[in-house]
Amino acid sequence: MLKVEHLTKVYPNGVVALDDVSFTVSEKEFLAIIGLSGSGKSTLLRCINRLVEPTSGKIEWYGKNIVGMNSGELRKIRRQIGMIFQQFNLVKRASVLTNVLSGRLGYVSPRISLPGIWPKEEKERAARALHRMGLDDKAKSRADTLSGGQQQRVGIARALMQEPKLILADEPVASLDPVLAHSILRHLEELNRDEGITIMCSLHFLDLVHRYANRVLALKDGRILFDGPPRDIDHARFKEIYGEEAEDVRATFVDAPSQ
Amino acid sequence: MPPSPRPPAPRLIRLTLVTLAIVTVYVVSLRETEIDLPALATGFPNGITLVRDFLTPDVAVRETANSSVGLDFPVPCGSAPEEEVPESGPRIIPSDPCGEVGATIIVEGVGLGAGADVSLWWILQGISDQRLRAARVTTDSEGYFQTTVEIRPIVATKEGKASKLTAEITSEVGVLRPSPALLETVDAAILTVFMALIATSMAAIFAVPLSFLAAANITRHGGFGSAIYYVTRAYLNITRTFEPLVLATIFGLWVGFGAFAGVLALAVFTVGSLGKLYSEAVESIDPGPVEAVRATGAGPVETIFYAVIPQVIPQFTSFSVYHWDINVRISTIIGFVGGGGIGFLLNQRLRTFSYHKAGTAILAIVLVVSLLDFFSAAVRKRAT
Repeated sequence: MLKVEHLTKVYPNGVVALDDVSFTVSEKEFLAIIGLSGSGKSTLLRCINRLVEPTSGKIEWYGKNIVGMNSGELRKIRRQIGMIFQQFNLVKRASVLTNVLSGRLGYVSPRISLPGIWPKEEKERAARALHRMGLDDKAKSRADTLSGGQQQRVGIARALMQEPKLILADEPVASLDPVLAHSILRHLEELNRDEGITIMCSLHFLDLVHRYANRVLALKDGRILFDGPPRDIDHARFKEIYGEEAEDVRATFVDAPSQ
Repeated sequence: MPPSPRPPAPRLIRLTLVTLAIVTVYVVSLRETEIDLPALATGFPNGITLVRDFLTPDVAVRETANSSVGLDFPVPCGSAPEEEVPESGPRIIPSDPCGEVGATIIVEGVGLGAGADVSLWWILQGISDQRLRAARVTTDSEGYFQTTVEIRPIVATKEGKASKLTAEITSEVGVLRPSPALLETVDAAILTVFMALIATSMAAIFAVPLSFLAAANITRHGGFGSAIYYVTRAYLNITRTFEPLVLATIFGLWVGFGAFAGVLALAVFTVGSLGKLYSEAVESIDPGPVEAVRATGAGPVETIFYAVIPQVIPQFTSFSVYHWDINVRISTIIGFVGGGGIGFLLNQRLRTFSYHKAGTAILAIVLVVSLLDFFSAAVRKRAT
């Protein structure tokens, strides 16, 4: 579904964030992206929906090149790709419901969204998304009154409104404690398994990668260092990715109970 | 090798030169500003008088009641029947019951109420609309007055009808009530608050869209966007430098001096000022939600509505209320050049030397400004 070829991103300040990155993603994959801070994980995810403009290279979405696409076409692609963030990126002062409904902005006409008069079917869709995330009673709450884990679940509900084929997750659990991290990743796992939504998720902790991902992309200095199943990351590969001094820090000491 | 210390001589020379330059600047400034410290002492009594007038503002008057007492006074004697002075009650007592033209009599008043204003009239030949003022006095604390009255030829008895010597008494009774000057001041103060409100609102309508165009994080993408950004920014900066006083004069000549000219002057100035404040609020938003909403496929306008506006509403509100507060102050000054409102009233009263009434206006300005300051502080506190 996604084919990235020779993707390069150089920021205006001269930093090379991605250097000739190529890979393909198939439907229903749970792809983890690992690497040190600054290795290009966020830039890679943001290039795919062009929140960051690639410098060169190709990104093919079902055969269509996203790079160089005009904004109207791009918006049609973006709405098929959900995104969740480390800082959740909810509008804090708005209600949970409004935040979730904003996931629908790529579909509804501005005549509906600008005055904020959402039709019943969209509200029901939002209610279903919130129900799925176990947040039925929070629809009217202000987003910033929710805990971190709840806010991330609102983030996922917002992404679900897009009926996405792919969810880009940029360090979705880095701001959460280990128990909540597992809860969020289990939600993503469930969407991957039950809905067939492809997941591309940058992660910090290797044990989470082993537990949830079925493929790993390791980045170092903007280049792909490793692309394969998690079990192939042995001690040597680990040192290669994270440097000689690195220790394998785990998010949890015991395996989280499954489901 | 350690750095060699600076040779001391050039340093000393430089220090001396700088000191000399600073001293020269101050000497020249003091002379040019005509600092005249003795004037502070010699003019002190004038200043104090004015301040005392300001501190006793004209805010209240008592209800007044009018009454009159009078009696026929034949001129010359015998031309008409003399009238007897009553024994008791409010009454006036002439020293003679009648008189000759050219003579002077003494008139006393008794029982007229303390501190009353008394106008003494001749009602000529008893015809009520033909009258001649004889004297004007104020009664003492016993309700008594005494004054001299000259008998002029016009008061002479005609056709057997004597002129009536009458005292019209205006006395303060009842409770204090707001003085006309106070009522006028309150009207003007309310007008000023409304002027500032309308000017701020009008300005906000223009400033909101302009502020988005002048926010780097919204507009400054690509060549076209940057051009809009710089043009809007320049426009806001230029209008912000317009002096409201000058604008008020221009608009005064344009649409006629008064409240409308004041509102226009304030509004033009406020567009620049609010636009700048708003745009800085827009630039300081959390970019995260904007990124998230863009990622859903939302267009630029939808992104502004769903990710930017909710973030800036509290700041926009508090800036607007704050500017309303500022505009009340400015419109007071604008009133001096004919912008209407309380400033205009104050200027008028100062020019006519009605310092007690000017004091009323000053008191109103102090109250309105403090109240609005308090209000705007409360709103700003709640909004954040």
